Parts: sequence; C-alpha cells; structure tokens
Amino acid sequence: MASVSELYDVGWEEMRDKLRKWREDNSRNSEQIVDVGEELISDHASKLGDDVWIIYEQVMIAALDCSRDDLALTCLQELRKQFPDSHRVKRLTGMRLEALERYDEANKHYDAILEDDPTNTAARKRKISILKAQGKNGEAIRELNEYLEHIALWHSHDLAIPAFCLEELMMTNPHNHLYCEQYAEVKYTQGGLENLELSRKYFSQALRLNNRNMRALFGLYMSASHIAASPKVSAKVKKDNIKYAAWAANQINRAYKLAGRGTKENKCSMKAVEEMLDSMQITMS
Amino acid sequence: MGEVELSCRAYVKMYLHACLFPRCSVNGLLLSSSSSAGGAVCVTDCVPLLHSHLSLAPITQLALTQVDVWCSQTQQRIVGYYQANACTSDSSPTPCALKIADKIAEQFDGAVLLMLDGSKMSPDYRVPPIVMYERKDSRWTLKDKHTIMLRQWEEIRDVASQMLDSGDHSLLVDFDSHLDDITRDWTNQKLNSKIAELCSPVNGNI
Repeated sequence: MASVSELYDVGWEEMRDKLRKWREDNSRNSEQIVDVGEELISDHASKLGDDVWIIYEQVMIAALDCSRDDLALTCLQELRKQFPDSHRVKRLTGMRLEALERYDEANKHYDAILEDDPTNTAARKRKISILKAQGKNGEAIRELNEYLEHIALWHSHDLAIPAFCLEELMMTNPHNHLYCEQYAEVKYTQGGLENLELSRKYFSQALRLNNRNMRALFGLYMSASHIAASPKVSAKVKKDNIKYAAWAANQINRAYKLAGRGTKENKCSMKAVEEMLDSMQITMS
Repeated sequence: MGEVELSCRAYVKMYLHACLFPRCSVNGLLLSSSSSAGGAVCVTDCVPLLHSHLSLAPITQLALTQVDVWCSQTQQRIVGYYQANACTSDSSPTPCALKIADKIAEQFDGAVLLMLDGSKMSPDYRVPPIVMYERKDSRWTLKDKHTIMLRQWEEIRDVASQMLDSGDHSLLVDFDSHLDDITRDWTNQKLNSKIAELCSPVNGNI
C-alpha cells in the first residue's frame, strides 16, 4: 500500500502542519488523522521535537475512534514513559479502557485522578460519559448535579462551573472566538502559572479566529507579561513571553492609532493605553 | 468617617449606566477631582466599566489600570466603586465588588462602595436609590445616611429622568462597549457636556 506521502506528494512538515490544523479546528476526522499520524510517527518522530507528544495524544484518540487498539497502545506507552505521573495521560489510559468497554477499570483511573485533584473537570466528564455509554442516563444526570453542588459547597464563586460549560461550548463551536476568549478570561482569573499559560494560549487562539478581538489582544498582552515576570519560569519561557507581549502591545498601539484617526473623541483613551503599555514595559524588564 | 458628596454628573451617569443595561449587573469607578478637605470626599465623576462577567479579572484589571493612568493625566483620583445588580431585589455587594473596593481602599483611605438599589429607581422616588458602605476596621459597613450628600436631589433626579426619556442613555459608553468598538470614548466627554448643560443651573459644583 502506498504511503500518505507518496499518495499525496507531501513532505513530513506538511503532514505535521495538517495534524496541527485538525487539532486547532477540533475536527473529528479520525481515519485521516490515523493515516497521516501513524506514518508521521513511525517515519519522522525524531524530527518533530516537542510536538511529538501532542501528536501521540491526537493520534491515540483518533486510533480509539477507528478501533485501532494496536496504534492507540503504542502511542499511550510512549506518553506513559515520558509523563509517568500525568493526570492527562491517566485520562487517556481511562479512555482506552472505555473503548475496550472495561468500564470498571476506567472508572478506577478517573477516581484516582479525582482523589488527587477534585477540580479535574476532564475526569468528571469521562465518568459521566461512561454512565451515558452504559445507558444509565438517570445516574449520569445525578452525577452531574452532584458535581455542580459539590463545587458550590467549596467556593461560592468558583469558576469551575463556567470553565466546564465553556469547555463544552468550545468543543461544539470551535470557530467561535468569543467562547475561546471567555475561557481564557476564566483561566486567567483562576490564577497560578499553569492557568496563566493556558489563558495565554486561548487568548492567542481567539485572536487566530478573529484578529480584531480587542479583549483577546489585551488578554494576550497581560497574560504574557505576567508569565514573563514570574520568577518560576525558565529563561526561554520568559523570552518567548516577552516576545508575545511585545507583539500584542504593538498590535494594540496600531489599533488605537487607526481608531484615533477618525474622531478626536477617543483621544483620552488612546493616551491612557499608550502610557499603560509604556509603564508595563518598564516593570517587565 | 467623613462626609461623601455625589455630584450631579456622577449620579446621572451611574443611573444611566444601570438603565442602559437593565438585565445585567453593571459596575464602575467613582472619581474625585478635588483633594479631600477635612475628611470630606466629593465624587465629581464616574467611569462606567462593565455590563458582563463582572467577576472575571483581566478586563477589570485592564480597566483599573487605564482609568488610573487617565486620572493621573487629568488630576483626578479613584475614590470608590459602584455596582448595580441585575437582580433588583438584591442590593448587597457581591464578593467581586468587595474585592475591587478593597483594592481601591488600599490606595485611598476614605474609599466608598456604592450599591444602586434597583427596586428604588423609579422616576419619582423621594430618596436617592443608593446604599453606601465605608471601610471600618477592615470591614465594609453601612454608612450613616446623614453623611451622604446630594445637593438638590430633586433636580438631579429630574435631570436623570429627562435624559432617560430622551434616550440619552444610549450615548453612554462603558469600558465593555469601548472594547467592542475602540473609537468610542469611555470618558464620555459628549455625555458630560450634555449633563453640564442640564445641571449647571442646578448645581454650583458639577
């Protein structure tokens, strides 16, 4: 059988980029992902750099969708070796068990995650989808309600609920820049370095979907600035985030200059933005 | 603590902000252009901020920073925070209101937290529909009504109603709207002029 690269006359970079596009669009074209991904991994894994891990994850999930357990297991084993304690990988282990209809074992994995991190919405959702798969809709609904109440008990204004809802909305509406941007705002508000990095990624994604979303632009600027200013990040991460922040500041300035040409109405806001960007630059260096 | 006076401009803009988004919670910042003399705070202006997702941090932080910068450019300072809840029967401060007010109090001693009471906002109401809090012993406590001043309340109330009737509230720009269209001015110079025309025969200091 001819390889993908022969059939379509593409190089490994194009294959890698195609996979990335499918990730960003949240496309569920599992058979294509398996075809392209399997070849990319077996022939070009060493060239992929850090991207290889997210590709393993993407291909693994697609493989489960196509009943290719052999491929799924290969990917999972690579991920397990690289990230032995990761909740994200544990969830993938659970998903494979679900695909094999070994629901009790899958649940054990999700329960282990939740014991360690009760706010892990991904694990909760998998448990609920197991109940749905087993036709236990009544129980699924009860679990969902219990989860929502549980959240309300700890913190009266926990953002886990909006995060949960926005995750669902983004899955079913991957082109909607507003959901992306709102999700980024929720992550930013939840705070902590990991959430800040997630927020930066989602602000960027919102901008990719709509490059005139000012909230996303400001959000990118602020999240990147805060990450760069954190003492916990490596020099490389700091440098990258300074670049992102500088890019965002540039775009913001251009947008305001463009806006200011029409009327003199918003001169005040323009000056305020300029000064704010200036002052934040100083504190960052 | 000290007396707090609300100017015509500050009250009218807050009122119009709440009326512009009747189904949302809205909030904003209270500003003063004069230094407090003898512990009295004169709220001379306000900046309407949000009408959606009040408890999310990024835009609030952004707005606070920008208003701060604008204040230093115009010799004003942030002296308080206002909020009107979507649910008109509940005028108690939300956790996010308290958080923002705390932040303001860090920079200004006599900071006030003002809640608009939606259930009392009919055009002919005899008393201002506001509930004010001040900071005492690290907690926000209700302010004595007698220390809150609105000179010529009836006239101010009439100006607000008049502007609402003629649809002037649609001229108001809050920070949220500004982000939707950055050519719009969140300092509301146009609206301020309109208010000044209507208020000046009424109020000595705008």
